[in-house]
Amino acid sequence: MTDVFDADDLGTCISCGFCLPSCPTYKLTGDESSSPRGRIALMRAVEGGEIDLFDPAALEQGSFCLGCRACEPVCPAGVPYGRLLEDLRDAQWKGRRRPMRIRPLLAFAARERLIRLVGRFRRHARFTTPETDTTLMLGCFERVLLPGVSRAAATTLPGVAIPLDQGCCGALHAHNGERALGEQMARRLADRPGRIISTAGGCSAHLAAVVGRDRVVDYSEALLEDGPLPGPILVDGRRARIGLQDSCHLRNGLGISEAPRRVISALGDYIEVPGAADCCGAAGTYSLLRRRDSRRVLAPKMAELSSLKLDFLVVVNPGCQRQLITEVRRARLRTRVLHLAELVEMAQRGPR
Amino acid sequence: MRTLSGTKAISADLSKIVGSVNVEVRPAALVPYRTDATFGFAGLPTAVVRPGSAQEVSRILAWANQRSIPVVPRGAGSSLAAGAVPVQGGIVLALTRMNRILSIDPVDLIAVVEPGVTTQALAAAVREHGLHYPPDPGSKRVSTLGGNVATNAGGLHGLKYGNTGGYVLGLQAVLADGQIIRAGGRLLKDVAGYDLVHLLTGSEGTLAVLTELTLALRPAPAASGTGLAYFPDLESASKAVGGVIAAGILPATLEFLDARCIRAVEAHARLGLDTAAGALLLFGDDGSPDEVARTLRTMAGLMPDHGATSVQVATAAAESEALLAARRCALPALARSGGATILEDVGVPRSRLPDLVHRINTIAEAHEVTIATFGHAGDGNTHPTGCFDPADLAGRERVDAAFAEVFQAAIDLGGTITGEHGVGAAKLPYLSAQLGAAQTALQARIKKTFDPAGILNPGKVTR
Ligand SMILES: Cc1cc2nc3c(=O)[nH]c(=O)nc-3n(C[C@H](O)[C@H](O)[C@H](O)COP(=O)(O)OP(=O)(O)OC[C@H]3O[C@@H](n4cnc5c(N)ncnc54)[C@H](O)[C@@H]3O)c2cc1C
Ligand code: SF4
Ligand code: SF4
Repeated sequence: MTDVFDADDLGTCISCGFCLPSCPTYKLTGDESSSPRGRIALMRAVEGGEIDLFDPAALEQGSFCLGCRACEPVCPAGVPYGRLLEDLRDAQWKGRRRPMRIRPLLAFAARERLIRLVGRFRRHARFTTPETDTTLMLGCFERVLLPGVSRAAATTLPGVAIPLDQGCCGALHAHNGERALGEQMARRLADRPGRIISTAGGCSAHLAAVVGRDRVVDYSEALLEDGPLPGPILVDGRRARIGLQDSCHLRNGLGISEAPRRVISALGDYIEVPGAADCCGAAGTYSLLRRRDSRRVLAPKMAELSSLKLDFLVVVNPGCQRQLITEVRRARLRTRVLHLAELVEMAQRGPR
Repeated sequence: MRTLSGTKAISADLSKIVGSVNVEVRPAALVPYRTDATFGFAGLPTAVVRPGSAQEVSRILAWANQRSIPVVPRGAGSSLAAGAVPVQGGIVLALTRMNRILSIDPVDLIAVVEPGVTTQALAAAVREHGLHYPPDPGSKRVSTLGGNVATNAGGLHGLKYGNTGGYVLGLQAVLADGQIIRAGGRLLKDVAGYDLVHLLTGSEGTLAVLTELTLALRPAPAASGTGLAYFPDLESASKAVGGVIAAGILPATLEFLDARCIRAVEAHARLGLDTAAGALLLFGDDGSPDEVARTLRTMAGLMPDHGATSVQVATAAAESEALLAARRCALPALARSGGATILEDVGVPRSRLPDLVHRINTIAEAHEVTIATFGHAGDGNTHPTGCFDPADLAGRERVDAAFAEVFQAAIDLGGTITGEHGVGAAKLPYLSAQLGAAQTALQARIKKTFDPAGILNPGKVTR
């Protein structure tokens, strides 16, 4: 016995296989080792001491899994796969085994002051003193890599406070083998009372898992609560064609898929991208750690996107945004990738 | 055979046939292939190999036959009879790479597919041509057509449309020594020789490996609809089934669930089912819109005569599909309560269904075990499911003892120990009670004729 996993979590799976067709890595390989059921069987063998935690094939599966949790909503037995994977990575990626390439990221995100400094340098949204008890959380990587998203979120939710003393929610850590730290960071962020609005699906889901769903509001939900949405965006005199890439954790972890679609439908002609719910391959640090697989996962979606001729492809998570901006540019599509907040801001500004 | 050098040699030989990326011998990578969806059965394969063509399957079988190495064909591994478990070790032959739909012919009403195509993928593809592939096992999202044919799978529409076997017109199969045969073809009528198509259908990988299937299609029905009726208990729901048939209706769907199943399904699907009800009967039909409306109305109308406490008819197609989808996940949903499940699939003539349900309940009580029952009420095929704590060995034994009696009860009522899942390894100990000595021996001789060295899925169906 290794005590890596929670016995109840592992015990719930009855090996029915219903999750297989939803799993991107199984779809790529057709190999049950890289399916949710296969990985759970492997975890059981590790737990039972039959297979070493650091067996190369076990390490490979721990890292090949996207952590997209597409296996969760389709599982009738309610297996908490995301939690099991966090357990596995916690054990496999401990200490010096943590992948080199993500160490600086994790270290960066754990340093509140540094994020603030770099973020301000990049001109993300201004901090405002809390007056309401609903606050906007600025994603740490968003502040640095996509500061425009934070600015847009602040502009489009004017009544919401942005506290000065916020750090990172720790989602990154929880998903990359540092669960305890990740949970501690989430709790610290949620120290102040009230609800937290997040523009990043990955952060929303992690926060909700640690501090409770009732404390967390996704940006799309906040918009719908906020009242009337701005009018449609016009392109060449017609309503814009707008698609959505779901955030895996938002959809599979929190069950939020309708809210962003409803917002978009008000802003233009909503076009459902076939496979919108399937992972784009960004998957947190995955696109850094396994660039080739990340692009293989994305390939079918790129094929769809090139025939859809969208004006805008909306994302609701910074990882997806980075991945899709890069790949859409590489494929020379005329579709612009932007965050939902940026789209709403554009609609508010009206025709240019 | 599990010595390091032996494994290396096997890996090298198989790699020559299918390429090294399609051979796996590392123990950690073999773990998922030890089991299927059946509780309590596991094996230890030496290798898993993923062929891409009938020729490769042929070379693998010839190789294994010479060395007397067991070969276990595997589709999606959703078997509930331990059919895909390598109980005697050997090579797992995973057929999921062979997943092309080769042709769909709207005039001959035929689809030709490789065995690894999922049931759902074919159903969706033919729908685009306005056609219909009726077999509809609960596992259709994941199960392969190869697995469906190998088990002669039934499903949710068995009453009106029959099971998979009724749609198999022809097949290509690889025999144990590697010879490739074709049986049947694109004809609806063909009586040349013994009917090997339907001997291999349901043979569970023990007689040959299926490498191509020619399947019959139907024109797609224009409409379909579903309704549900709540009953105080499963017995009254099963009597209502007889009532529907007596009214001269042969509907596409008649599925029932008991209270425990309703609660489990509702916890997953959140459809707003009445979790206080004792039983639920799903009834549905397809055909022309008028026809569907009429049969649904008739069925809904006669439910209260059999004790239904409330009846609803789904108005939107999406609602119908959601109800059926919820029914399909009854088994895994039962695991939500955190226990293990052993599911059986005993069947009886429809008229005896109330007796069977009554016997199952009496047996469960006598053995102090929890048995949740759901199933294809329309064709008399039920799924009593034992729910227990896997750590409680005594409890597990009580479940086994109860099921031994349930099997006997089904046989006594003129029924079968397995209506659709097959014998596999799980039902083998009970088979001869149903078949009798002469037939059991004949089955063994058939096996010997097809597979003299006994390499094909040994330990299944016949000893
Ligand atoms: C939740 C759930 C619901 C289910 N509902 C139903 C239902 O409604 N009706 C029903 O009938 N079954 C049902 N099943 C059982 C199972 O899905 C079926 O038996 C299905 O046909 C198996 O298909 P598979 O691809 O998973 O085959 P596997 O499980 O991989 O194999 C099943 C058997 O077929 C053999 N086999 C597979 N492919 C080939 C091939 N190409 N050539 C030769 N032999 C082969 C295997 O050796 C094995 O003996 C259900 C299972 C689950 C988990
Ligand atoms: S769907 Fe759920 S219970 Fe079924 S195999 Fe997958 S994880 Fe296990
Ligand atoms: S998290 Fe995603 S990649 Fe990993 S097993 Fe589940 S579906 Fe597959």
